[in-house]
Amino acid sequence: MRDYEEPIYMNNAATSWPKAPGVAEAVSEALRAMPGEANRGGVTDFDVFWEVRKELAELMGVGSPSRIALGCNSTWGLNQAIFGYPLSPGDTVLSTNAEHNAVLRPLYLLEQRGIEVIKLPTDAVGRIPVSRWERAVEKYHPKLCILTHASNVTGAVNDVPALAYAAKKAGADLLLDISQTLGCIPVKLSEWNVDMAAFTGHKYLLGPQGTGGVYVREGLCLRPHMVGGTGVMSDLKEMPEEMPLHLEAGTGNEPSYHGLLAALRWSRQHPGDLEELNQRAKRLLKGLQTLGCRVIAPGGVSTPVISFVIPEIPSSHVADILTGSYDIVLRTGLHCAPEIMEDIGMESGTMRLSLSRFTTDEEVEQVLGAVWDVVESGI
Amino acid sequence: MIYRCKKVENCFAGARTYEYELPVTGRELLAFLEDWEVRENHRFRRPVFSAKRGPLEIKGILAAHVVKVNYPEDRWEEEKERLEQWLDQTEQIKQTEQDG
Repeated sequence: MRDYEEPIYMNNAATSWPKAPGVAEAVSEALRAMPGEANRGGVTDFDVFWEVRKELAELMGVGSPSRIALGCNSTWGLNQAIFGYPLSPGDTVLSTNAEHNAVLRPLYLLEQRGIEVIKLPTDAVGRIPVSRWERAVEKYHPKLCILTHASNVTGAVNDVPALAYAAKKAGADLLLDISQTLGCIPVKLSEWNVDMAAFTGHKYLLGPQGTGGVYVREGLCLRPHMVGGTGVMSDLKEMPEEMPLHLEAGTGNEPSYHGLLAALRWSRQHPGDLEELNQRAKRLLKGLQTLGCRVIAPGGVSTPVISFVIPEIPSSHVADILTGSYDIVLRTGLHCAPEIMEDIGMESGTMRLSLSRFTTDEEVEQVLGAVWDVVESGI
Repeated sequence: MIYRCKKVENCFAGARTYEYELPVTGRELLAFLEDWEVRENHRFRRPVFSAKRGPLEIKGILAAHVVKVNYPEDRWEEEKERLEQWLDQTEQIKQTEQDG
């Protein structure tokens, strides 16, 4: 039996826990050791950022690690891409209602600057129908398309190859938000013809918070959203043209990137069993449905994220009981993705359970047992 | 009553929820909530309570020192000030009872 004092952590779509084995030690060691960026950069020095770039390039399916700029999170990467992309008043950006505020809030700012922003509604499970997207790119002729790979609310994974094909056919560039997918399901940016992608290190990559960035394809030059020191070419008044320096101003988060490198290497050596994870998520989803919960069931390809409500019982109240009485860590509310809620018929928000490769069958059963108690009590 | 208060990070639209760490447990707090509509539920692994008076709701675990208060969106500042004044007065009541 599990120890009841130990929390059941089902908030991995926000940030993963536990982290991969070796991450904490790597961060700790990096803080004790002399900084790698001690102004040497010699051929024999260990460059953690370069090592991370190499691992990420392989994982994302891109050829050149130097096209990956490393910053503090996915929001940083999205801001670099959205504000750095060459847009002028009158240009159109096509996006979706499924986006996180890390995309939506930059888009609200773009609108204030005279950019036309079109946001497509999702279907009832949070997925963008390919036919709707095709019609939109033909109708609006966007210069840039911004799309999440998977909804952080429902787990529905978009058909990126088809959506990217339509965008390119209409002459648009595509920025893909892979915050919810990288490390969980296959990502093949070059094969899919994706121009830019923002990622984070602390979700399904199982690394520390404070890591993330943006991939920019060869030939596409962004205007740096942040400028500052690069440690080299200090005589220039502008950021160096070469990537990734072009987008990386200031001192990097070296300890956290040591942690992310440990996570990436561990995951490469110990690939997760996606099928097993999907089965576990499906068991939880079906269990919630059996208990009378209203559950968003995306079907098809999805991440292990489940949004649900219990009819007639306020979600905030249910979540308080699940957390306070049963130590179940979950997320409630709009999940920083307010515009998808109407599309999926959950205007008041949802409770979200998000699993990881470390989630156990016993934890799934414990959660279902706790939800059963709440449903039965009719609070 | 000496308490610590913090706004709860909550992703619901318009939510005005605050957590209070109190020197008394939820169960002990209920003794002071005479004119509130109180409900207890002992079905859960850690039994819970909720107490309502008008637009205000206090809820928590009976055996815990932390409670949550939901304030109405339209006049949360006024209600928060009123509740916190009441908590201050409650300390005096408790002190008076102990002295008596």
